[in-house]
Amino acid sequence: MKCALISFLISGASLWGGNQEPFLQPVEFNVNSQYTVESVEVPREVESGISRGLRQDLERLIGQKFNPIALDDVARRMRDELNVRTVVPRLLRGHRPDHVRIVLDVAGKRVDLSVPKFLYDSTQGLNGAVEGTVIAGDNRFTAGLVSNGDELVERYSGIRFRYEDLKLGTNRVRLRFEFDSYHEQWNGSTLKAIAQDDSVPGLYRSRQNFEPVVTIALAKPLTVSFGASFQRFDPDIPGEHPQSANAAITAVHYERQFEGGLTDEQDLAAGYSLRAATQAFDSNYGYARHRWEVRYTIASGRQSLTDDAVAGLITGNAPLFERFQLGTSTMLRGWNKWEIDPLGGSRVVHNSVEYRYGLFEAFYDAGAIWDSGEDVLVRHSLGVGLRKNAFQVAMAFPVKGGRASPVFMVGMNY
Amino acid sequence: MHKVTRRWWLAASFGAPLLVGLTAPSLQLCVDGDDLRIVAAPTLHFLSDKPLEKLKDGATLVFLAQFSLSTEVNAPAIQRAVDRFVMSYDVWEEKFSVTSTGVERATVSHLSAAAAEYWCLDHLALGIDGVAADKPLWVKLEMRAEDARDQAAVVGQSGISIARLIEVFSNPARAQQMRWEASVGPVRLADLKRERRSPRSG
Repeated sequence: MKCALISFLISGASLWGGNQEPFLQPVEFNVNSQYTVESVEVPREVESGISRGLRQDLERLIGQKFNPIALDDVARRMRDELNVRTVVPRLLRGHRPDHVRIVLDVAGKRVDLSVPKFLYDSTQGLNGAVEGTVIAGDNRFTAGLVSNGDELVERYSGIRFRYEDLKLGTNRVRLRFEFDSYHEQWNGSTLKAIAQDDSVPGLYRSRQNFEPVVTIALAKPLTVSFGASFQRFDPDIPGEHPQSANAAITAVHYERQFEGGLTDEQDLAAGYSLRAATQAFDSNYGYARHRWEVRYTIASGRQSLTDDAVAGLITGNAPLFERFQLGTSTMLRGWNKWEIDPLGGSRVVHNSVEYRYGLFEAFYDAGAIWDSGEDVLVRHSLGVGLRKNAFQVAMAFPVKGGRASPVFMVGMNY
Repeated sequence: MHKVTRRWWLAASFGAPLLVGLTAPSLQLCVDGDDLRIVAAPTLHFLSDKPLEKLKDGATLVFLAQFSLSTEVNAPAIQRAVDRFVMSYDVWEEKFSVTSTGVERATVSHLSAAAAEYWCLDHLALGIDGVAADKPLWVKLEMRAEDARDQAAVVGQSGISIARLIEVFSNPARAQQMRWEASVGPVRLADLKRERRSPRSG
């Protein structure tokens, strides 16, 4: 069945019965308000995108007399939460006499303009990405521009094209092709460091990536992805031939929400990804990049506490864009990444604890980045900020001896 | 004299109904005492397409109606009647229910789509007391699907404001707003059929 059935019978007073104008509201004129709501159905694929509060309000409609005002209200809220073009409520005969079923159909946007990332960081400057997506049924065509100096050693600027089929024969299988073309810029610290370090591969001035990936939903909380990444880059040495780093990709992701108990909601997300490049794929580089992440959130009322742990390991000889970073907008915030390690590291561990109360947030980050054979130095940082939906402003302080300059960050979706 | 051939008969038999259809007034009227009433509006069907689809999905739709009389084409109305109809569709009975919330409140249910449309038109009565019977008149019926801004203007704390409902029709319909119109003219009251209509149902 395409729709998930929400079938919780709720007792008690009508949710909407309080302050209605008896003469004006259309509820009394809808002939179906004599019937009792038997079930409320939402498409399975959007179920996880609905907030707990809205889910509860949908459940509250069940067992009550049909109320078109309440239905319009939840449909509007659902449209806003899912950011879709429209949510159309439909009323159908129930399975029992004098009962009706509510089906909420979701129609996605045909064209969507989004800002996957916008960040001003007082040490790294501006970072941003903008994407336009054309949606045709289960197919999405996306084109975007990006300039990002936050996540990798390099600042990469360029274009992205992506095609996604959200339903490859079945709802459980998705297909994605991505093509990126970037131009690279390097920080002075990186240029200085690479001149003194022969163990790390050299710089490049441009990079192209082609990445086909298939994702299979094995079960509702568990997905597995397989694919390949074909990266070709031009070394920053005149006359040198282009190089390639072609890797097989695999990833496992688990995400589950738990409700009830002493808290309102608990979220657990865990993932592992592997990018393995060998000369069998006609690659100039041979390496394996492993990354593990576990994120746990516990929420109660307006407050929530999140712990996010990340570990990474690179074996072999990986190009600079594969190397790990700390001192970014999400990991070891407040530190300057080029001060910590201007070439990135092949090993990383990081843990972040974040407390939120309403708009307010406070965080504590701790992490270490190093290469094989080096000493492991754990660094710490603290920060406070405000967050409203995708918008965030934060001030992060590195915990270190001597003078420490805070880092100011403002933006959305970072 | 032209010979009446088989082909001529064939053309006439197909063409005559078409001609009658094209020349039939889009608004058929009668005089009921001191009121001008609508007998039929053959070209006006507001329960079709999207509104019908929405109603069958269980939505409540509100239609605003204005029945007006003027002495010249496109001249301001000298008399008008307005009403507001709230409609819904019983998903179990597969019948329509209509409530008039304008001047006088009335409800009717278990109607087919055509009967529901007719009930709304039948509910509109235009006072013609004082209007010269031999004067040429232009009569217009306009219907609009009420949108949220109309609702905010028309529906107040104390109920429906007829003055504001008239004001809604003094402004052109919004670009996305569904509207239907039928008109006829010139007509003379003296030429119209006099009918004693049954008391309005509901």
